[in-house]
Amino acid sequence: MLDTLLSAVAFGVVLASIIAIAAMGFTIQFGLTNVLNLTYGGVMTVGGYAAYLAVSHGASAWWGLPLGAAAGSITTLALGHGLLRRFAARGTKVFEMMMVTLGIGLVVDYTLQALTHNNISQFTVLQSAPIHLGAVIVTPTQVIVTAIGLGIFLGLEALLRLTRIGKALRAMAADPALARACGIRTRRVVIFTWLLSGALCGLAGVVYIINSQSIGYTSGELFLPLVIAAAILGGAGSPSGAVLASLLMGIVTQVVSAYGNASYSTAAGFGLLVVVLLTRPGAVLTKGANEELALS
Amino acid sequence: MRAARLKAAATVGAVALTLTACGSSSGSGGTASSKSTLTVAGVIAITGASDFEGQNQAGGILPAIYAINKAGGVMGHKLAYKGVDTRADPADALPAVQQMLATTSNLVMVAGPGSNSAPTIVPVLNNAKIPMTAVAGESAFDRTKDPYFWRLFPPDAANGTAMALWAKQKGYTRVAAVFGTDSGSQGDLPGVVASLKAMHIPLVANISLTPDQPTYLSSVHRLMAAHPQVIMTESDATTAGTFFGELKQLGGLVPIIGTEATFTAPWITAVKGALGASTFQKDFTSLITAPSSKTAAVTAYEQAVTADKAQVPKPWQSYLNNPFSITYWDGMMCVALAMDAAHSTNPQVFNKYIMQVANPGPGKVKVYTYAQGVKALKQGKKIQYYGATGLIDFNRFHNSFGNEEAVGSSGGPQPVELGIITAKQIEAVPVVGVP
Repeated sequence: MLDTLLSAVAFGVVLASIIAIAAMGFTIQFGLTNVLNLTYGGVMTVGGYAAYLAVSHGASAWWGLPLGAAAGSITTLALGHGLLRRFAARGTKVFEMMMVTLGIGLVVDYTLQALTHNNISQFTVLQSAPIHLGAVIVTPTQVIVTAIGLGIFLGLEALLRLTRIGKALRAMAADPALARACGIRTRRVVIFTWLLSGALCGLAGVVYIINSQSIGYTSGELFLPLVIAAAILGGAGSPSGAVLASLLMGIVTQVVSAYGNASYSTAAGFGLLVVVLLTRPGAVLTKGANEELALS
Repeated sequence: MRAARLKAAATVGAVALTLTACGSSSGSGGTASSKSTLTVAGVIAITGASDFEGQNQAGGILPAIYAINKAGGVMGHKLAYKGVDTRADPADALPAVQQMLATTSNLVMVAGPGSNSAPTIVPVLNNAKIPMTAVAGESAFDRTKDPYFWRLFPPDAANGTAMALWAKQKGYTRVAAVFGTDSGSQGDLPGVVASLKAMHIPLVANISLTPDQPTYLSSVHRLMAAHPQVIMTESDATTAGTFFGELKQLGGLVPIIGTEATFTAPWITAVKGALGASTFQKDFTSLITAPSSKTAAVTAYEQAVTADKAQVPKPWQSYLNNPFSITYWDGMMCVALAMDAAHSTNPQVFNKYIMQVANPGPGKVKVYTYAQGVKALKQGKKIQYYGATGLIDFNRFHNSFGNEEAVGSSGGPQPVELGIITAKQIEAVPVVGVP
């Protein structure tokens, strides 16, 4: 019984690592721009495909990580800075912007579907003997995925707390007008945020396909609800909150899978979201009803 | 969202137009009596995650239309195919079918529907009095009273029983079931569970997989803790790839027996990639509708697929032994011969002739091709169409299914034949409790 619990918690941490990478990127971008960016799932898939193409052409799987990040960055910057900013300049409100991102996300998905002919591609990069940690059995892939998640979290925290651009980003997320008044080059910070968010999104796509060992045009889209839930649960703009929320969701879903019917695992994760939102509504939309889109 | 829907509609329209063009001539608005083109609608998932259903259908129905048209058509009427995209979702299927019924001239038959949309679509087609050759395994259709429903495909329960019989033949005494929670994947599970119970084989774990999750580690752990000797399974390709990949990595892989639906290119590609080709070939078996022995019907099917390969989805060779495609071929032949036997292209007239031209009976001439059937009918003979799937013998519920075959992966398009489970063996299992 205890073995099962320990295994479920360990597997929950692995799942949380994947969710957290994406949720950190999502929440930073959402916290700063106030755009609920539903293209995120599609961009994750783009990152995953960049890694897949690199590896299938002979590159090392490690190269897949920076390539996926780069693909995510470029795509997100193009969509965010090149397209969404124009909508913001026209005074598009938060809900309308969400619908715009939904539409763009579908365009990305359908484009990927057309390009891939709806095929599922394999991405098996590491096959080796499992590691026994007492009663818990994990694979080297899972250990690597968890390490990547932890490394990205620590790196992101350091970036936000110790660097000038990180501090500027936090200042802008707290109060864009004041940050602008203090001389922060807000446009530059917004561009940096799109790049950073896109890089994390692309990385999440790569880590996702490393773990699931396959990629299809809907891979990121199917994962998106978990990412948004974790980002909302953790509080907009809070990477550490996103990590904590990812851990909660990951462990809850895996424990439910281990002890009950796996069909209820995802429902349990979202049930947790509903309970937390009811009891701690401050975790949601920390910007409240603010309709300003800090994109320009 | 609206733009996305428009885009989806445009995509569907383009695919449908392409598939229509794959038939011979396009449908005209004229009456059937003026030798106009007759429309065969393929009500199936053409786009979306289940688009392989549409490919399976195209792999059989387009060569059938080609062969019939080459033989002069049905009483001089050419046939044309019209794709109607269900996206494997009843919500998409219903309006698409309603639109098809409202706008299609000379509609004589529907190929399909498939599993996910059948419960919604079958009553609609039945009310419209359009014969359909469904490839839907739901047990609800085992005793259907819908007169326009025809199924040349084993019900899910039969496939489940065949899997259990194969496990027993191989000497397995501890079985685990791993099935996706989507309705398409759940069909065989009741048959598996009931058959194992009837054969006193313990089901040590029954794992449900919510499709497309990033990981199934806890489910894998539960499965391993049950120490099964074999896994019976069906789920979508992505889910299966992830689950079995994790199972292998954690050292818990045991032989796999898949349903008929696992013997499709996306599923095999996903799981073979996750397990590695050699492991997959060693450990994977699927129970599929047994192909007929090499009769003239099989030869005719293979020749038509080869001759029409430009229209058949790629790789065209994979449809030479695709059980779904062959089923669609036989369904089309039965309907076409029924029209000839009835001297009518009116579905309300020829529908009852479908059983007459297919089932065995005294004094009937066995025919293997459409041309042979037409010739015999013109000579005033009664015919029994012996299909590429083998003997066709519709029961009073318009169901016909034969033997099942255990097949493995060869690494190429041709499966490895491992053994036969006969229809009699399946019927002999005292399965109870399957809805």
